[in-house]
Amino acid sequence: MPRLGHVLAFAIGACFLLPAAHGQEAPYFVTYDHHMEEPGNLEIATSSTLGVPRSDQRFFIAPYAEFEYGVTGRWTSELYLEGQSTSGDSAVFTGWRLENRFRPLAREHRINPILYIEYEGINEATRIQKEVVGNAPGFDEPNSELTQTHAHELETKLILSSTVHDWNFAENFIVEKNLSAAEGFEFGYALGVYRPLATLASAKNCRLCRENFSAGAELYGGLGSTNGFGFHNTAHYFAPVLSWQISNNTSLHFSPAIGLTHKSNPVLLRFGYSYEIRGFGSKLARMFGGKP
Amino acid sequence: MSAIRAGLSAAFTIALLSPLLGQNTSYRPDPNWQTPAEAASRKNPLAARPETATGGKKLFMRNCVECHAEDGSGKPKKHAADLQLPVVQAQSDGTLFWKITNGNPDRGMPSFSRLPEMQRWQLVLFLRTLKSAPQENNSAPMSLR
Repeated sequence: MPRLGHVLAFAIGACFLLPAAHGQEAPYFVTYDHHMEEPGNLEIATSSTLGVPRSDQRFFIAPYAEFEYGVTGRWTSELYLEGQSTSGDSAVFTGWRLENRFRPLAREHRINPILYIEYEGINEATRIQKEVVGNAPGFDEPNSELTQTHAHELETKLILSSTVHDWNFAENFIVEKNLSAAEGFEFGYALGVYRPLATLASAKNCRLCRENFSAGAELYGGLGSTNGFGFHNTAHYFAPVLSWQISNNTSLHFSPAIGLTHKSNPVLLRFGYSYEIRGFGSKLARMFGGKP
Repeated sequence: MSAIRAGLSAAFTIALLSPLLGQNTSYRPDPNWQTPAEAASRKNPLAARPETATGGKKLFMRNCVECHAEDGSGKPKKHAADLQLPVVQAQSDGTLFWKITNGNPDRGMPSFSRLPEMQRWQLVLFLRTLKSAPQENNSAPMSLR
């Protein structure tokens, strides 16, 4: 995976070379809330989904890199590059995704809607499971065969999110269409709730203070497709989530997701590290002699 | 009349001095960014705990300095508000809290509703410490609000 390797090397290098900014974000891996990236900021994140298999399957790890940019106060754009490695098989590049989130309402409301649209140029070996839709896929074929089947998919989400007494409640409703196959429209959902462990900022700069931690839970799964709507043959997960704001610009995330149906992986372990570069757009513009 | 005259002279002095201080004199409040009356009347629950402003300073350094600068004077290139100006300091705690919470995304000010409510009040508490000497008289001309 030379391309993915280069991207990851760039992301790690950027973490050490570029100036500091701030992070502080939701601990979710799958669910989206209504908070957008700040305009001009770039967040670079590397995450992995480690799949603990059923008895007849193999372990896999699916790393992915995210580049999230705040285009405007109401428009956030994000590029994903993803790969996958299966024990006893191979490591492969599984594709890319480009997502855009739009915030139609300027002010905070009791329920804040966000419109989400994503294009995916992936292959069937993808395992990152950033969303779970339709029926549960079988992971029985080798990577060499799965990578031959390409999928151009369009995914839309309606994101609803609320903040109530420092608790965030988020609900995502997902519709996905594989443009490369006659699979109909696939449906899925993701629900999330989280809260910071402390609500008052202490005077000192500390790394292990409770205010730097957020905890909550996610519930997500597929709802079949237009060929068969419902819970039959679908995967569902319940996942506690935890995030730690290590410094002003970096955070760590962890989530052990527990499969709730026989079609789910028994356990998905998710890890993430994110780094935010404040004023990236202005810095880039200055570099090329443009107006910041 | 004397209060208006004092306010005008304070604003005039600031306008003269602020280019020397690197302040954002071009800042003008967005007339469409209006706080609902109920939100504007809210009191800061931390008003009796001024020591928590230190935590507010830490939050300000983390979340606000990129646009508002460390002294709150506002970076002209970012079109950010000069938080020392009477036009800002004259606003109620509830108004500042509402503006931090909602942001003004069409003018580049993000929403900070992701911060816990108490931390937003801590920010308001810290903003009150940004008053510079000439601005302690909070009577800003109405035309600037």
